[in-house]
Amino acid sequence: MLEVIDLARYFGGIKALDGVSLKVKKGSIVGLIGPNGSGKTTLFNVVTGFYEPTRGEVWFNGERIDGLNPNEIYLKGLVRTFQIPRLFQSLSVLENVLVTPPHQIGESPLNALFKKKWANQEMNLARQAFNILKMLGLAPYTNIKVSDLSAAHIKLLETARGLMGGAKLLLLDEPTAGVAYTTARELFDFIVKLRDEKGLTFFIIEHRLEVLMDYVEYVYVLHNGKLLSEGKPDEVVEDKKVIEAYIGEG
Amino acid sequence: MMLGFDVIGFLISWLTLFGTYAILSMSLNLEIGFTGMADFGKVAFYGIGAYLAATITAFTFLFVNGIKCPLHSVEAIVALKECASKNPALNVSIFVLCILITFIITGAIGYLISYPTLRVGPAFLGITVLSFGELLRIFMRHFEPTGGTKGLAGIPHPLAWIPDPRLRDGIYAAIVLVVMLLTYLLSEKIANSPFGRLMRTVRDDEIATLCLGKHVPRIKAAVFFLASGLAGIAGVLLAYYLGSVNPDMFVPAVTFNVWAMVIFGGMGNNKGALIGSAIITFVDRISFVVNLLFPQAIISPDYIRWMIVGLLILITLLFKPQGLMPETPIKTLALTAVAEESGGEENA
Repeated sequence: MLEVIDLARYFGGIKALDGVSLKVKKGSIVGLIGPNGSGKTTLFNVVTGFYEPTRGEVWFNGERIDGLNPNEIYLKGLVRTFQIPRLFQSLSVLENVLVTPPHQIGESPLNALFKKKWANQEMNLARQAFNILKMLGLAPYTNIKVSDLSAAHIKLLETARGLMGGAKLLLLDEPTAGVAYTTARELFDFIVKLRDEKGLTFFIIEHRLEVLMDYVEYVYVLHNGKLLSEGKPDEVVEDKKVIEAYIGEG
Repeated sequence: MMLGFDVIGFLISWLTLFGTYAILSMSLNLEIGFTGMADFGKVAFYGIGAYLAATITAFTFLFVNGIKCPLHSVEAIVALKECASKNPALNVSIFVLCILITFIITGAIGYLISYPTLRVGPAFLGITVLSFGELLRIFMRHFEPTGGTKGLAGIPHPLAWIPDPRLRDGIYAAIVLVVMLLTYLLSEKIANSPFGRLMRTVRDDEIATLCLGKHVPRIKAAVFFLASGLAGIAGVLLAYYLGSVNPDMFVPAVTFNVWAMVIFGGMGNNKGALIGSAIITFVDRISFVVNLLFPQAIISPDYIRWMIVGLLILITLLFKPQGLMPETPIKTLALTAVAEESGGEENA
């Protein structure tokens, strides 16, 4: 579904990403790990069009998407969340989720005047949004302003928004950072459920390996902008190179 | 009552002015309050509206009555006065037509002005429209066909056929208030729709809105079109109320007066814009009346007016920084749907 070929991105002399190739199959849950500064977020940024690649190609559903604008890529169904969430502070939790679905009828200024035209869609979207919020345990906060929300809830909301956006492939950047352990497991249970029920694909950056490794089918390990290792979770955990990258050479 | 103070006349003039300014401040509220676009050139569209109404009306009346003379000449003013009350249908239809035409033309001008600036930072929009307004004013001062600095006068009132001036002004004030009410309903409708939600997301985080696949410049341009069109309508109402227009009515101070109303009343709240304009136009009228009653006062109340407005703003920012009426959550159908959903859960 997503294929990255020899992707590179340099910032001045720094090779943040240096020739990475990887594949994410449809309907899979794939992890992306690596020490701090290894280029994980840069990879996400290049794939979703926030940075232009210095070299290499990105293919999504048989279409080449490198060089497109972020909003064009978003509309193709490749949706990302941010490590530091960018939410709309003055809107409620529910409204934040409701903004995400593309091409809503009432979003055209002319249609906005005729409630009849958009009421139906709005009701359906609201129900859908509320169900997502409920599954993430955010239902009690539905009508609360985002600026009054705790950090963990903001993180969850960011994921809820990604789920709502008509995504086919979701790139989650540290979805469980700052979230309690049990909530983190619930979040991943929910991800698995979404994959099974809606056929979504997930590509997840995560530092909490103890959680991640129980859920993903395949893991890529980045180190200094290069692919260090890849494989099934238990293979990767055993890989000596990976252990060295994380805790230093023994 | 005080000597020589005409309460009803005062109320009529205040309500007319209030209605006009309330339309302006609601239109500014759509831009700065909901969408976060700093429009420092509101007065330009107000002025364009007023000039359009004045020109179209004067021209049509002269044309229909077969009088051939420049719009701004003394003969024209005399002739307009004579033919103003001959044909009520003409007065009213031109009034309605002017409102429609002006809305479209000022909206389109707003759209064109905003086009190159919306894709850059908010400050550029503010500066561009501010200087556009000033350029336009200076141009109009030197533009002979509309009378240069003298402007146009003797514009036939839409209700000129009503002989009693008091009744005429009263009905006109009511019409202005009706237009204001329609503007309010329109703004509320827009603000509480999914489009209104997008306006707020643009204000909160433009980049994030863009990332969600929303066409941000198009959203801003639509808001600018609507707000400029509404400001144009306010200009039309002003032109008929005063019966004359001249370039120096449309100085940047007018824009900042409208800003004061929005800041004072509460950004992002249409009721706030109404209250803000009601209070500030009231201060304006009162100081005008006091000025007339005490012509020999050492300090002219005309100058104190600005100080009062400044003081009001200061007090608001100190004690109620979000204005008298802070922004309220969006009233879309979403919450109803959610209530049904969670209500169903509990029953099950």
